[in-house]
Amino acid sequence: MTAGVVKRARLRQFLVLSPPLLWTVLFMFVPYAILVVYSFWRAQFPLAVPDFQFGNYIEIFTDPQYLNVLLRTAKIAGLVSLLSLLLAFPYAYFLVFKVRKPGLRLTLYMAVVAPLWVSYLLRAYTWKTILGTEGLLNSFLMSTGILSEPSSVFLYNQTAMIITLTYVFIPFMVMPIYAALEKIPPSLIEASGDLGEGALATLAKITIPLAMPGIVAGFTMTFCLSFGDFISPILVGGPDGLMIANVIAAQFGAALNWPLGSALALVMLVIVLGIITASDRFERLGQARLS
Amino acid sequence: MKLFDKLAGTTACAALMFSALPSFAEGELNILTWEGYADPSFIEPFEAATGCSVSATYVGSNDDFAPKLAAGGGVFDLVSPSIDSTAPLIAAGFVQPIDTARIDEWNSIYEKFRTSDGINQDGEVYGVPYAWGAIAFMYRADKFDTPPTTLDALWDPALEGRISLWDDKSALYVAARANGDMDIYNLTDEQIASAQEKLIAQRPLVRKYWSSAGELVDLYKSGEVWISNTWAGYQSALLAEEGIEVVEFIPEENAEGWMDSFMIVSGTPNEECAYQFLNMAVSEVGQCGVANVNGYSVANPEAARRCMSEEQFAALHQDDPEYLDSLLLWENLGDRLGDYTNAWNAVKAQ
Repeated sequence: MTAGVVKRARLRQFLVLSPPLLWTVLFMFVPYAILVVYSFWRAQFPLAVPDFQFGNYIEIFTDPQYLNVLLRTAKIAGLVSLLSLLLAFPYAYFLVFKVRKPGLRLTLYMAVVAPLWVSYLLRAYTWKTILGTEGLLNSFLMSTGILSEPSSVFLYNQTAMIITLTYVFIPFMVMPIYAALEKIPPSLIEASGDLGEGALATLAKITIPLAMPGIVAGFTMTFCLSFGDFISPILVGGPDGLMIANVIAAQFGAALNWPLGSALALVMLVIVLGIITASDRFERLGQARLS
Repeated sequence: MKLFDKLAGTTACAALMFSALPSFAEGELNILTWEGYADPSFIEPFEAATGCSVSATYVGSNDDFAPKLAAGGGVFDLVSPSIDSTAPLIAAGFVQPIDTARIDEWNSIYEKFRTSDGINQDGEVYGVPYAWGAIAFMYRADKFDTPPTTLDALWDPALEGRISLWDDKSALYVAARANGDMDIYNLTDEQIASAQEKLIAQRPLVRKYWSSAGELVDLYKSGEVWISNTWAGYQSALLAEEGIEVVEFIPEENAEGWMDSFMIVSGTPNEECAYQFLNMAVSEVGQCGVANVNGYSVANPEAARRCMSEEQFAALHQDDPEYLDSLLLWENLGDRLGDYTNAWNAVKAQ
């Protein structure tokens, strides 16, 4: 190959890659760079002045309100992921191993995935009408005589947020677990039975370890999506429902403190990237152990 | 090189589209404002009379004005922030001075508003006052045997889970007054801290902090909330339409007042239409328009007298300058804004 041909091939390669590259640079790296720069600025009436100082980060780590909100957000995201897992795993297991008809399996699978095509806002809003003081749940409980008067404990608290977020993000747990379970060769499970292991032991020693990549992927996705949510606190959260994304939004709006908002956004980004990296490591570790 | 050609073609197309845009925008006013401030009932006649077409984008809170203008883009021609949110817009140069000689009824507007610090800076006027009102309180008539008269009702354990408060720095103003600190726009650090404590003590009693007019209406409608603060005249009228009777009151600890003015965005290409809109806004058309649609009091009492019934004129306190003077009219907090919003966020983060 002559140098000219190589050069032309490189150019072609570059041109093919350039649109996605341009997209990534323009809409990912440039905004992040701006965010980083802003996070060192100083808020000053009316907006902010360029500076290089760590005041915003110091404030985040010294003012207890930010740690409070971060912990609360992590707690809610963790509970949402756990609840999703407890619901999604048996469901996916049932679909893959118990439902024999492919048509029925597809219908049941789509029943979980289809809500993704409905606006997230609408689905979250629906829970308001279900959980409210004069909502469906209360009407039902009263008509069956379980409650004598409507209860207000279902809506405007963290439980309502966890229920709503679980409902909204559970497809992201079902999909990877379903995919992982589907890949398990039935022969492995049969072999486990032939060798005298009971159903529970097979589940614990064969099925769950082999499904681990799906479980980890699902957990990571639901956790990160819930961690960044700011609609559910507004719609169904109570006075103690503030999450980190709401605090960031408030810094860019009400407080007009873009530098602090940028610093908070970066702290959140680092946390989410950390979780994704950790889950990636965990997944590889599992794969190495199995092979 | 096909891909490159395609790319170049797309770019040229986009360039054409963008260069064609301004010619379409000729005489088209883009207004960033509150719901009701560009109601078809008076905007359509305005469009027909002037040939200026109006498209409105609605804000949910005063917090939306500065970020939207700071993002740039030259989208908006007019904005209508409240009197406490005007200063950053003026200081940042987002809005331009107004030639009051071009506003026919300028001198009929309440002097208190015309000369207020919020729209006057270095001898220039930056806003045309439009509407005003109180951040009153309201309660469900059927739930109270003795009508509440003080802010204590919002801290009453008997009303646990039935109280709502606006999700806004205004919550600190309420708490400060409940503490007896009446100079709510110049609170000391200690006073802000005790207002914060007061709100933390109230939080277990609160059902939900409301963040939009529609949300507050929903909270009353669905039986969740019995008492809250409100934008006087607005949510109570919406609730009346739903058949829910609420009573507004000004507590003994007084209430804040707000006033919205229209401001012209710097460098607007539609200045002529903008002035026509401002003239319409403070004439009978705009003044009775907003009074009828939103139930707010208006800035030009002379126009109001010409187009309102005696009852409406009195109900909106247009005949009573003392009422207006009694309200604690919102002020810009300047560099203290951060301390107030920080305290309010800390309450919710607790």
